[in-house]
Amino acid sequence: MDDLVDKIRKGDRRSLARAMSLVDQPGSTDRKLEDRLRQSTGKVPWWGVTGPPGVGKSTLIDTLLGMLRERGRRVGVVAIDPTSPLSKGAFLGDRVRMMRHAVDKDVFIRSLATHGREGGLSDAAAHCARLLEGAGYDPVLIETVGVGQNEVDIAWVTDICMVVLGPGYGDDIQVIKAGLLEIPDIVVVNKCDLPEADRLLKEVHAELGATPSGRSVEIVSVEAKSGKGVDRLLEKLLELDADARTEEQRQRHSHRRALREVKRSAMVAYERALERELAGSDGQELVARLERGELTLESVLARLSDALTEQQRQVGEGAG
Amino acid sequence: MNTETAKRVLIGKVGLDGHDRGAKFIVRALRDAGYEVIYTGIRRTPEQIVRTAVDEDVDVIGLSLLSGAHNELFARVADLLEEEGAEKIILFGGGTIPQKDLPLLKSLGFRRVFTPGTSMSEILSALEEEIAGDK
Repeated sequence: MDDLVDKIRKGDRRSLARAMSLVDQPGSTDRKLEDRLRQSTGKVPWWGVTGPPGVGKSTLIDTLLGMLRERGRRVGVVAIDPTSPLSKGAFLGDRVRMMRHAVDKDVFIRSLATHGREGGLSDAAAHCARLLEGAGYDPVLIETVGVGQNEVDIAWVTDICMVVLGPGYGDDIQVIKAGLLEIPDIVVVNKCDLPEADRLLKEVHAELGATPSGRSVEIVSVEAKSGKGVDRLLEKLLELDADARTEEQRQRHSHRRALREVKRSAMVAYERALERELAGSDGQELVARLERGELTLESVLARLSDALTEQQRQVGEGAG
Repeated sequence: MNTETAKRVLIGKVGLDGHDRGAKFIVRALRDAGYEVIYTGIRRTPEQIVRTAVDEDVDVIGLSLLSGAHNELFARVADLLEEEGAEKIILFGGGTIPQKDLPLLKSLGFRRVFTPGTSMSEILSALEEEIAGDK
């Protein structure tokens, strides 16, 4: 394990890639790798890129990569796509738009599947971002799946959050709905050359100008493929990036991220244990007794809780 | 929630041909069969393909080429994989490849080479066999 971390720090790409596979195993709660890197990371701002499907997130990242490279930055990217709820397979199709950076030794792109996790990210996303930071990439970008109104996990994980919208997002009523537009530091209206983009831009200004919370949100209009307006976007991102490095902001984000990590990991561990229990004959009997009206739901949950505690105790004994 | 680690497959198109319908068909079929599939897009260099395969830590590479340059380009991919120490990645090839070239490609490390007319179920079985064989 130490050997692997050492190699990652020294820039060995294969080790980094292997480490990412290790943390991407579904249901894994082994965090030894990240624990090793925890003290030396948490200093580099993570940038989130989210927005509806097809709006241009990957293309935008591709353009930003080029510009960041021109400024001598080494950039890491984690790009997430959904696992099929039916086949459990996935088409990881973000990096196809970033292939011109494939052989750049100062760019590392990793594609991840959600493994059924909702919220826009995957369990491994933050861990892979930390590995990238540990390997010396700065900044680290995380691209979510194409999201709807409600998947805002990215906001808890990243220091700077970009929401990308495009024409066809909806009318003035749509833009007022809660969720996606509450989270960003920057809203990017992409495909600004298309008709409707202007109207969307106005709606977004109306929505974000009206919030009484006093939070200032940048709104930038771009055409990601051609790069039009992206230099202005990058300037704003770099300003936010500099702010994110102040001790106060860094601590705030670090705490938020750590809290989320603990909650997530605890949840994953609980889910696994619960599924094991419910797959067994005792668990199935409990469900049957609920169906027959012999037990109340509360009763079932109490017995499950006992069973899980017993499971934990046995695991502890086995490990001892 | 999924508890099995899915296998990762890279489908790469080397060479200058722009025919990607076949590759995309395979991508869909693999996804539907439970694989995590990364597609490189068309007209990629062997260097781009190998770098992607290593960074994404894939288990399998499926190379597709319809322009006739398979002997050189497939060989280049095989060489680069060896340089990277990534010979464990299962290599499949496909495209308009004449029978007489199959032995050469096999000797370069391609486990299977699929010529036009191969059914998808044949490809999927072959994949399963090779993966199981490596365990």
